[in-house]
Amino acid sequence: MSKKRARYINRELSWLEFNQRVLDQACDDSLPLLERLKFLAISSSNLDEFFMVRVGGLQVLADEDSNHRDASEMTPEQQLDAISQRTHRLTGDQIVCYLEQLEPALTEAGIRRTHSSNLTQQQENSLHRVLDNEIFPTLTPMVVTSSHDFPLLINQTLNVCVRLRPGPMDDDAPRFSIIPLGRAAPRFVTLPSEGGYAYMLLEDVLLRYIERFFPGEEIIECVPFRITRNADLSVREDQAADLLVQMSRVLDARKQSHCVRLEISDQVTSRTFNFLKQVLDVDDCHVYASPGPLDLAAFMQLTAVSGFEKYKLPAWKPQPSPMVDPARTMFECITDHDILLLHPYESFDPVVRLVEEAADDPDVLAIKQILYRTSRDSAIAAALARAAQRGKSVTAIVELKARFDEARNIEWAKSLEQSEVQVIYGIRGLKTHAKTCIIVRREAHGVQRYVHFGTGNYNEATARIYSDVSYMTISEDLAADATSFFNAICGYSQPQKYRKLEAAPTGLRDRILELIASETEFRRQGQKASISAKLNSLVDPAIIDALYKASNAGVKIRLNIRGICCLRPGVKKLSENIKVVSIIDQFLEHSRILHFRHGGDDLVFISSADWMPRNLNRRIELLVPIEDPVCQQRLLDSLDAYFKDNQRSHRLERDGSYTRLQPDGSAALFRSQLYHCQQAVDAVKRLEQSQPTLFQPHRASGQAS
Amino acid sequence: MATGSKEPAVALSGPSGSVERAKPVAVIDIGTSAIRMAVAEILPDGNIRRLETLTQDVNLGQDTFIRGTIQKTTIEQCVRILKSYRQLLDEYQITQSDQIRVVATSAVREATNKMAFLDRIYIATGLLVEPTDEAEVSRINYLGIQPYLRQDERLQNATAIVIEVGGGSTEVLVVHDDNVIFSQTYRLGSLRLRETLEAYRAPAAQLRRIMDNHIRRTVDEIVAGIGSRENPEMIALGGDIRFAAGQLIQDWDRSALGRVKLSALEGFVDGVLEMTEDELVHRYRITFPEADTLGPSLLAYMRLAQALELSRIYVSNVTFRDGLLMEMVASHRWTEEFTKPVIQSALEMARKYHVDETHARHVAELAKTLFHELQNEHQLDARYELILYVAALLHEVGTFVNSVSHHKHALYLITHSEIFGLRAEDLTLVGLVARYHRRASPKASHELYATLDREHRIAVAKMAALLRVADALDRSRSRRIQQLHCTRESERLVIAIPNVEDLSLEQLALKEKGSLFEEIFGVPVLLRGATR
Repeated sequence: MSKKRARYINRELSWLEFNQRVLDQACDDSLPLLERLKFLAISSSNLDEFFMVRVGGLQVLADEDSNHRDASEMTPEQQLDAISQRTHRLTGDQIVCYLEQLEPALTEAGIRRTHSSNLTQQQENSLHRVLDNEIFPTLTPMVVTSSHDFPLLINQTLNVCVRLRPGPMDDDAPRFSIIPLGRAAPRFVTLPSEGGYAYMLLEDVLLRYIERFFPGEEIIECVPFRITRNADLSVREDQAADLLVQMSRVLDARKQSHCVRLEISDQVTSRTFNFLKQVLDVDDCHVYASPGPLDLAAFMQLTAVSGFEKYKLPAWKPQPSPMVDPARTMFECITDHDILLLHPYESFDPVVRLVEEAADDPDVLAIKQILYRTSRDSAIAAALARAAQRGKSVTAIVELKARFDEARNIEWAKSLEQSEVQVIYGIRGLKTHAKTCIIVRREAHGVQRYVHFGTGNYNEATARIYSDVSYMTISEDLAADATSFFNAICGYSQPQKYRKLEAAPTGLRDRILELIASETEFRRQGQKASISAKLNSLVDPAIIDALYKASNAGVKIRLNIRGICCLRPGVKKLSENIKVVSIIDQFLEHSRILHFRHGGDDLVFISSADWMPRNLNRRIELLVPIEDPVCQQRLLDSLDAYFKDNQRSHRLERDGSYTRLQPDGSAALFRSQLYHCQQAVDAVKRLEQSQPTLFQPHRASGQAS
Repeated sequence: MATGSKEPAVALSGPSGSVERAKPVAVIDIGTSAIRMAVAEILPDGNIRRLETLTQDVNLGQDTFIRGTIQKTTIEQCVRILKSYRQLLDEYQITQSDQIRVVATSAVREATNKMAFLDRIYIATGLLVEPTDEAEVSRINYLGIQPYLRQDERLQNATAIVIEVGGGSTEVLVVHDDNVIFSQTYRLGSLRLRETLEAYRAPAAQLRRIMDNHIRRTVDEIVAGIGSRENPEMIALGGDIRFAAGQLIQDWDRSALGRVKLSALEGFVDGVLEMTEDELVHRYRITFPEADTLGPSLLAYMRLAQALELSRIYVSNVTFRDGLLMEMVASHRWTEEFTKPVIQSALEMARKYHVDETHARHVAELAKTLFHELQNEHQLDARYELILYVAALLHEVGTFVNSVSHHKHALYLITHSEIFGLRAEDLTLVGLVARYHRRASPKASHELYATLDREHRIAVAKMAALLRVADALDRSRSRRIQQLHCTRESERLVIAIPNVEDLSLEQLALKEKGSLFEEIFGVPVLLRGATR
């Protein structure tokens, strides 16, 4: 890179910084041990996805168009080099964290990784049984001589490469055999132990008994490795007559795409190493050699081991929202007032309840919903199926293209179709990322529409660990807009002008730019002007430029961007008035909330969209204004809290690095997620205290109460 | 019950007895370049609540205006769209024919294979498409725009020249004080223009001149037709001008008319005409079909405003669907807004044929009172009240031709005239009621009467019976009977007339009118005067 800093931060490097912040949590000894292990595992699985999706794509780009420069003025080659350097540092930190901090601490806590050198007889006996019954039958060694007979290895699974002594006929050429460990055998082999939990890693077990696979052969070397394939393949939708079939083909194609990363034990000899590099066609810079176990993401499994509760964070119980009266139907509650829920502090149940009640309500005519990533055994999907069986008109847009969830989504889609839900597989060329549900109900005065808008998916499991916003309303304007939005994506109508909503890819970016420009204008006219936004990623150059312009005009801009941020803050004559923080804490920050001062009229929005070109150009996203004063105030309060955080917050510096914030001098400690938890608990308490004790006997019907 | 001038011309009445709920309805407009649907609810107070609006592009105009016929692929495209709309309507349980109205405008009306198109749509979707004629389009537009004209203080004393430049035609409506003074359709349409121009294969600069010439020719014709009016103001309807207004008026409150300076419009039109279709699509995020018609249509509005020597125009957000919805409201709630221009238009016709207006008006009022008083006897839908009223106003128009058989001349004159706000089938009913106000009772062998369905035949007979009584009551032509009250006694219907003692003239007239009333209602009528 030139000396002069580029106008934007490179998005891949920014992402790696984000993952470093996740890893930093694993190194934070103020956190419970298993929580730290969880962050380590997350940082590792994040990296896996990054390589599959981003690095794979970049490698292809580097081959196709090596001169193409991104917004940060880097060629693909330069980016790949920078990624390699940064990732080597990151993985180095990861394994040091594991080997020097976590593994010793785990051992001390009683979760022991056992090596073959110190097995007890009892453990040895147990291992024999496991080996014979579970491991041996599932594994098949394959002899390989060249890339031609090299087996098709499964993406991101462990393998062991075994080098055997050449036989008399082999002419001294090395003999290799590969044992794919697949997904059938358990990675953590539990051992009998007195107190605590003892385990042995599958590859360690294999190494110990490797000669049993090759009777009569001399084994020279035995080394675990793991490959990552490019998964940045997508359906050519213009040619896809049947998306369902094409999607399955993509899933198949992904199984044999090129290898973008080789992870291997650093004990490997150069002979074996060269052989693998050659057959897998991997450059040195994409090889990651490790002194410790590979696939640290698998350690997520250990964080769930029972009996070690004191090393975990106490499980957070989502609180009931005081805006929802459990004694009344959701229809009554929403009719009474708009409802805003902050998940996971507040429970997701009201959203599930809304769809379930709709399914069972005789007056409901139709339910329309977008399902992007939904959970296994989703109560919402079940309710949709039930509603359809009861003769309601149910339309579900199931986004097959939700990455890595495709298989599950295909399964869902099929089962919904069987229940006579009208399933729409998204829109050609676009991913449906907006989250909304519309319930059409016939009531005494006419048709009433109930709408839910969210920033998170209809997924009961992630709603417990992601920070998201739910908004439920009967607002005539929003309901009409949501309906016409739905008609547009279902192909019933061309997109029309919305009354209040804005959607990508049609007008969302323009609307954001317009909002930023009008804030800039307010400032130019000498008024106070400010923008606050909470997003996962900020990449879009047009929006960043607009923010730079606003900053130059004197608009105060506060950004809370969890992940990638390509905006360079605090640069003179560019972004002096912009501050960027990132919160990494117990729950994954996921909600998108925007606030524009707008001359004192406070415009507040929630959105499904990050400010990235892909979201704004190739996804269907929504921007929803929250005008109800109570709901608006809650959002503003929540948004503000993040900027007060001085415990789990990191400030983005102008060089692209992040600094973890510390309380200034005597300032009180403030942790935004804790604050939200307390707010939720306090609200429930206040409600309980405000309600006088009143016994409500159940009476037989017909009796006056 | 009194009949007096203080009362509205025709009183409002809903279907009696029932508790009204919001009624979900849908209107579908098959236009030259798109099929559009509005789903709405008609609220008990007569207001309309929009639920959904949908639009999908079709090439009907291109087919009809170039080839003269609608291509098979286009028909199937329409079927596909209408099927998807139908699916949505099922969702709202909008399935009854009185809840759905599907109309098609010039592109279908002028297609040589119109019938094949309508049949195919009906077979595939079950939707009955009505091809609308020019008179209907202007009536529907009037219904849509009228509330805007009335509520706008800026137009209090103005003559509103309502213009819509569509894909196939231009509708002109001149309104003053709620009265439609003039309405006419011209074959000037943006899509038609485009097609004509393409035939020239001239360079772009020249094309604009040719287009302008075409437009100016029709504009001159329109301006001549409108004639000179007091305080003229132009009110523009249509998607293209709406789009322009959206660009030119900051924060346009679309519930009111927007005002655009002609100079601003001229600048905008210049800009649009300079741009290629691609540029328009890119710049304004509109579709290609929209970009296609924008320039020609805006140029037409601009030339009209210039020819009318206006410095500004008003733009309405109202659409053809709004008018259709208003009509659906009117069809089961006859509002004064709806009936007043109809009655005005009928009176114009009565005057044209030198009818005794005082008598005609009085008979109409009496007929209306009878209609209300005898609601339990005739059980007719409220919409027939207007038909009866108009028939009463016009029952003597035939005397203009000859007083012999004047009732038969009335039928001919009425069915061959245009009364604003009445459809062709409504005019038939009006004509028949007028025809049967004297002499022979309706017979199945009678021309036109025979073509009606049973429900309408009975309605005509009932209304004619009422009209005969009303006419008899003003036999004196002195408007001396102002009040009446009906009671059903076992063997007869008694019409009590307070304040009038001697009713022998009227009684005689009633006898002369024959037995139609008794044939229909099963009892004779007795007039009872004021008792001493």
